[in-house]
Amino acid sequence: MSEQEIREGMLLAVWDEPPLDFDPDVLIKRVEQKKSRRRALVGVGVATAVIAVASFALPGLLPRDGGSQLASEGQATTSAPPSESVEKKAQRIGDKLAEKLALKRTDFKEIYAEFHPGQFTYPPYSTPTTTRRNPSDPDFSGYVYLNDNIGPTALRVTAGRPGFSISNFCVSASYCHESLQKDGSTVFEAEYLEGGSEVARAEVVRRFSSGYVVQISSHNYNPASGQGLRQTVPVRVGVLTELVTEPSITWE
Amino acid sequence: MRKADEQGFREFAAANAASLRRTAYLFCGDWHTAEDLMQSSLMKMYMAWKRIKDLDNLIAYARKVLLRTWLDEKRRPWRRAEQRDGELPDTADATVDPDNTSAKLWARELVHTALLQVPPRQRAVLVLRYFEDLSVAEVAVAMGCTEGTVKSQTARGLATLRAIVEKLDSSSGRVAS
Repeated sequence: MSEQEIREGMLLAVWDEPPLDFDPDVLIKRVEQKKSRRRALVGVGVATAVIAVASFALPGLLPRDGGSQLASEGQATTSAPPSESVEKKAQRIGDKLAEKLALKRTDFKEIYAEFHPGQFTYPPYSTPTTTRRNPSDPDFSGYVYLNDNIGPTALRVTAGRPGFSISNFCVSASYCHESLQKDGSTVFEAEYLEGGSEVARAEVVRRFSSGYVVQISSHNYNPASGQGLRQTVPVRVGVLTELVTEPSITWE
Repeated sequence: MRKADEQGFREFAAANAASLRRTAYLFCGDWHTAEDLMQSSLMKMYMAWKRIKDLDNLIAYARKVLLRTWLDEKRRPWRRAEQRDGELPDTADATVDPDNTSAKLWARELVHTALLQVPPRQRAVLVLRYFEDLSVAEVAVAMGCTEGTVKSQTARGLATLRAIVEKLDSSSGRVAS
């Protein structure tokens, strides 16, 4: 088989070619469509890359203060307020209570408050907890220490949302009274003899419409130490009510 | 693309589409695939037209694109064609001179059976050398290899083709010339 025969054979092989239906305009249109599709794909790819890079880079570019601010704003939506603000609140209220008590009872000396934020100082003869035991534990609790002519003692203060039952509150009370305040809150006063002839315990509760409850009690002993038994309470419900309804103190 | 450039491409494509399809057919042995290869090659050229429109020998560049497109297509797994080793149906054409029919059928068989059994690069060299009548240097440019490689590929391709044709002739009773 010579080269000439191969050449002729190839020419003969394409002799019966089918008719060519070729339109350059259709081809150009297809290319333009392909190009625009490619441009769109590149655009989507670039946009995706930009979003991905931004999502990784943006947190690092934000100032740290802004970040912490955002974080604290996020926490503000939760039920538990930040611990720092509770500390400040406890400090503020404690100082105010001591100041007001000193004004009302000038015979008291060395008045100061010591509150524990986020803790529950359990009733006398028990050790204060260091953390909340359950959600109904108070925002803060503690004592307003004072010295009267008998000796050192204290008032017990609790604030939070522990729940309050008026029927339980008045049981065994020698005196129990309920009064509605202008702001919609209710003040409950009670005094208990506890088997004696003198008032052994005086207690005042202010319940706000939001469910927030503030409780101040006075005992015939020092509730902070469980010692210093005396004949009667150092402060009666009248002064306790004035303290719990003091307009300059924002409890909530 | 500017209107003038687009018109230049349109004229080039219209003038060379048939020629490119024929070359593609000799590469692949199928008219449909040949048309796909031709259109793919022209699309590639259109996309690069701004850069290539001033080349001295545009048709040589087009052949090079066609060859690359075909070789690329062959490498794709889903493009692997079936092995055509069966008997072809008898397709006598009653509308043409019966004296020439035998020669034309033999030529078709040459392409379909013999040429398609030659390895792709050797086949490409044979088509470019003997169908397109290109010189060794032109084929070397089109294939992107040295002239020595073109010569050796041509010799091997011819030997392979002759062997296949002889085998076909002996099986069909035709005397090889």
